[in-house]
Amino acid sequence: MNPLGDDRALAARIEQYLTTQAGRPVTVGPIRRFPVGFSWLTFAVPISGLEGEETRELILRLGPADGLFAPYSATPQVQAMRTFAPSDVPVPRAYWHSDDPAILGAPFLFCEKAEGHAIVPWVPASEPPLEEGYRKRVGTQFIDALAALHRLDWRDQPIAAMATTATTADGTITPENAAHHAVQAYKRLIDRWAMRPYPLAEWGIRWLEQHCPVAPRVTVVHGDYRTGNFLEHDGRISAILDWELVHLGDPHEDLAWVSMPMYKGGSPYLCRLCEPEWFYERWAAQSGIAVNMASVRYYQVFSLLKLAATHMAAARCFEEGRFNDLRMPAMGSQVATCLRQMDKLIESA
Amino acid sequence: MNNSFARLIDGMCATLRAEVLTRLTDEFARGQVFGVINALNTFKVRADWSAALLLEQLAAQQEALDAIRPLVPLSLPAEPAPVPTPTAELLQRRDAGNRALLSVLTWLDGPAAAADPVRRAAVEGHLRRAMRAEVDLELRHSPRPLFAEMSSGREA
Repeated sequence: MNPLGDDRALAARIEQYLTTQAGRPVTVGPIRRFPVGFSWLTFAVPISGLEGEETRELILRLGPADGLFAPYSATPQVQAMRTFAPSDVPVPRAYWHSDDPAILGAPFLFCEKAEGHAIVPWVPASEPPLEEGYRKRVGTQFIDALAALHRLDWRDQPIAAMATTATTADGTITPENAAHHAVQAYKRLIDRWAMRPYPLAEWGIRWLEQHCPVAPRVTVVHGDYRTGNFLEHDGRISAILDWELVHLGDPHEDLAWVSMPMYKGGSPYLCRLCEPEWFYERWAAQSGIAVNMASVRYYQVFSLLKLAATHMAAARCFEEGRFNDLRMPAMGSQVATCLRQMDKLIESA
Repeated sequence: MNNSFARLIDGMCATLRAEVLTRLTDEFARGQVFGVINALNTFKVRADWSAALLLEQLAAQQEALDAIRPLVPLSLPAEPAPVPTPTAELLQRRDAGNRALLSVLTWLDGPAAAADPVRRAAVEGHLRRAMRAEVDLELRHSPRPLFAEMSSGREA
């Protein structure tokens, strides 16, 4: 029986698995699911008996077979976390993982529970802006961590396994094919997820295929770098989270994602944190890569297509009854918003 | 139902907020309640009572009026039964129209390469207007999404 959806059964499976892994009896308390995330399920798991410690909480992430981007593998996320563990990019320590659904009902990974809270991207108009000193402090780290991520020479790292792909002509991601590869990936996902024809999405794909920029270099791309996907504790960014869309490509893809209008939270700042000029200047200085604003604009168009595609997936998953999470139809209703904004950007390009 | 559809939605949302959320502590469950409210808000601007019930009532009325008319010295209405188009059929027509627009897009990228540029530009202009109209209309009939509330489980 699949234990997903039954917290007690899942806790029992976790206990059994960790006891085997630790080689000593481990007990698991009541697990708690977080409302964050629209794809992988995230739980806090209280555990006793690991290395003789007191009870501590670990984070368990599960990629269900009926999730947005299923089928899932925990491997890329673990590769990313292990790659960045010794770097200036704060990441939770990755522990055990497996893609075998027989163990916990779905591919999973356990990682450290970093201290802190997430600054949410979606805030009501009544929400006061972030305090100025705090905004600058966290914003500085937000930029520096992204620059460190892009600065990393990934070729000798675990994440280098992502460098080869079956979908490019020569089997590798290059500065010349990075944009084309990214667009084709989302074209395939739209073909898979859209429940009806979207001419405007096709219009966007057509424009993107005709305007592919050359990347300044191939770097690690987080894929979902924004507020809501890092934790902050006492003014310090304690962990960059949600590595499920990590891949190799053009770093401008992350710069554009940061600048999405829906993450500004009604403020003039990128991700509620950074003046655009400051963000681009500091990132360039820290990463050693010059910002090409034409590439940023290109990837802004791409980001809106990517968001529209994700929303199409949410609508389909809900429609097919794969799960009843009511955030999914809400996401699904945002396809038109993304496509309209994408069209405006294309028009002004 | 004697209440209007919109008022009923407002009442359900208010009850969920005032009577359910105030007694619910689980963060995920609270987020889901906001998801229900979000869906109800969409129903309010895009849905209404089913026409099928009203059509049956109208048919029953008309049958009676038609039977009574020759028996009484009154001028009674003799309306033909309305024939509404089912929504499913409208959705099919919209999708077929979009497939036709996509075929125009494919034509622009293929055979039209050799066509008169003025004609190409005119076709492209019409295409863009149609594609924008579809999403603009959808946006005009969409309530503000409650993402902040659904993600945090807290009232904004």
